[in-house]
Amino acid sequence: MLEDPLLLARLQFALTAATHYMFVALTLGLAPYILTTQFLAALRGDRSRMTAVRFWGGLYLVNYGMGILSGLVMELQLALNWSGLHEMFGYTFAAPLALETMTAFFVESTFLGLWIFGWDRMGRWAHLACFAVVTATAYASAWWVLVSNGFLRNPTGFEMVDGVAHLTDPVALMTNPAATMAFGHVVSGAMTVGALVVAATSAYHLVRRDDPHGIFRRGIRYAAIVMAVMPMFVVTFGGVQFGLFGEAPPTSGLTYTAEEIAAIEAASPGGPLLNGVNATADGVMMSMWAVLFFLGPVMLLVWPFGGLDRWRWFLAPLVVTPFAPYLASVGGWVFRETNRQPWTVVHHLTTADAVTPMTPVAAVASFAFFTVAFAVLAAVTYWLLVRYARRGPGGGPLAERREEEPAELADPVHTF
Amino acid sequence: MDVLSFASTALLALFVVGYLVLAGSDIGLGMLMPHVARGPAQRRRVVSAIAPYFLASEVWLVAAVGVLAGLFPLLEHHVVAELRPVLAAMLAAWLVRDAGLWLRARVAGPRWRLGCDAAIVAGSWTVAATWGLTVAGMLTGGLTASAFTVLCTAVVMALFALRGAAFGAERLVGPADAESADVAARVTRPLSRAALGATVLAAAAALLPGGPELSSAAPAVILAVVLAGALAATSGLVGPMLSRHTSALAIAVPGLLVAVAAQLPWAPVPAGTGVFVWVTLLPAIPVMLIGQVWLYRMTRRPAVEATFFA
Repeated sequence: MLEDPLLLARLQFALTAATHYMFVALTLGLAPYILTTQFLAALRGDRSRMTAVRFWGGLYLVNYGMGILSGLVMELQLALNWSGLHEMFGYTFAAPLALETMTAFFVESTFLGLWIFGWDRMGRWAHLACFAVVTATAYASAWWVLVSNGFLRNPTGFEMVDGVAHLTDPVALMTNPAATMAFGHVVSGAMTVGALVVAATSAYHLVRRDDPHGIFRRGIRYAAIVMAVMPMFVVTFGGVQFGLFGEAPPTSGLTYTAEEIAAIEAASPGGPLLNGVNATADGVMMSMWAVLFFLGPVMLLVWPFGGLDRWRWFLAPLVVTPFAPYLASVGGWVFRETNRQPWTVVHHLTTADAVTPMTPVAAVASFAFFTVAFAVLAAVTYWLLVRYARRGPGGGPLAERREEEPAELADPVHTF
Repeated sequence: MDVLSFASTALLALFVVGYLVLAGSDIGLGMLMPHVARGPAQRRRVVSAIAPYFLASEVWLVAAVGVLAGLFPLLEHHVVAELRPVLAAMLAAWLVRDAGLWLRARVAGPRWRLGCDAAIVAGSWTVAATWGLTVAGMLTGGLTASAFTVLCTAVVMALFALRGAAFGAERLVGPADAESADVAARVTRPLSRAALGATVLAAAAALLPGGPELSSAAPAVILAVVLAGALAATSGLVGPMLSRHTSALAIAVPGLLVAVAAQLPWAPVPAGTGVFVWVTLLPAIPVMLIGQVWLYRMTRRPAVEATFFA
């Protein structure tokens, strides 16, 4: 098994993408909540809400760091391991990614720097505007990535010139249902991830009756509303995409004839591993959403009775609920990506042709390094997130007053 | 060459050169951290000088990779085919370095900080070394085991360190640990002498077998002279004073050299993709520039108090 560079490249991509997405989902889910809270804080000059912004913002940054690290590896390994894909579909598949790097990530990272270092160096409205740009570009980033990903599922808007796809219709590329529906699905799913992380953190502190600034009281109400609304969108946008399965893309026939396509698909039935993974991912995703579908309405139901603030037996189990949307998200991605096999670009390019020709040694070395590095970094980030969430607003990385550590005290100065 | 292709090529070169000039500062300072910083307080100052910079400088390389993949797939295929192991090592080092920067301030223990500082230093050195190998590989048309490859790598590494020293001389100024800035300023002279020597040797080795295969020699000679001139100016007594500008000019040269003189497979950008990318990119350019200028201006002095990173 370890001698097959193709399998290693695929496993590496699956692990990188799944890890990256977990951090992306929380970024997308928390950003609108932080932005709204900061807007209200700036509008009313509300110190307790600003404390909330510093608290959730601290979690956002810890999570975002790992999002950047995994995103860099994601982009670079796409170029390094999948050169066949770039050679044939660079002008179509990679063009939205190019726009993502320039118009979204470039701006997002810079303005996040402005937000981090601008707390005491700019006015509150300018500071709010920086985070508005961060939020907008985070969503723009997700949009461009899904335009690229949707192209793999449903390639459209190009013609073949000497074996290279040339973009002819950018509008078709951008309005590709495989991209727009996936964007709706991912955004609504990410909102539930963010809401449940807020709910779990809030529940942890409300059980302990530890909420001097009202941060967690507001947090759990936000989560109840989002969880009552968003799962419907998740299921709707997800369900619509089933209609795209098995449908031939509009450009089918440009590369291979119908007979050749049938022969390629017949020659690679997937095997028990692929089919098993695909079915498991589908089952995990469906069962998790079935649970999440009822959580929001139940939270709304107990709200009028004060259950969201006082009922310890109700709040305590909420602490573990974030695992559900995370499992569902990873399951959803594995389901989506394995469903496309044996194709990388449906009816145009097989996965075996898309991978870079590599020596087994190189494939094993890069697979081993990045898998171990990701496992360590993801574990550290998870540990940090839980630790900061438990510490509460007083101990966050952006908290206003930080205790000076003994090792870093300034050298003593003579006063005589 | 049509307008779209020319503009796209210029954009790619701009992103690479911009990356070398801007990220050269924080990567170079990361390389010099053991030399300029003694003790935990000084190391914290070094990281707090690097931290705002790396967020806004590494995005230039990410954008360059995006342009390479989306507008020049032929060139990207060539680069990946010839330099795959070097690029994989660069990515690994980049990951290690950034992990050190992001995680450093998260745990208060001195051993954790030391581990993260080690990751920053080792990552910075490896990123600089792999950039040297990349530049050499692009000039010789693939990795070759030759004197030129070794010397070119040495030049690029010295240029990164020089850029970092010039950056540190400017940003580490502070009442408590002024010596960090002085140490950084002093080291610009030996570094530019070393870089100058390596440049002369690399130019000589370029004539040996295994040297670069250039598309045109004249621009390469001019750029080499510019590089030597910038380094010679920095080697003198006024070196530390000039180094801010000369180091930027010097580290831009390897990028420009690859852009104008290397023999690379190049294909005109097809109109469909070119128009789509440029029409979408143009409205974003002002926002990109505002963010960069604003962040660099706002963080001219490293934060005295603890920030998110250090």
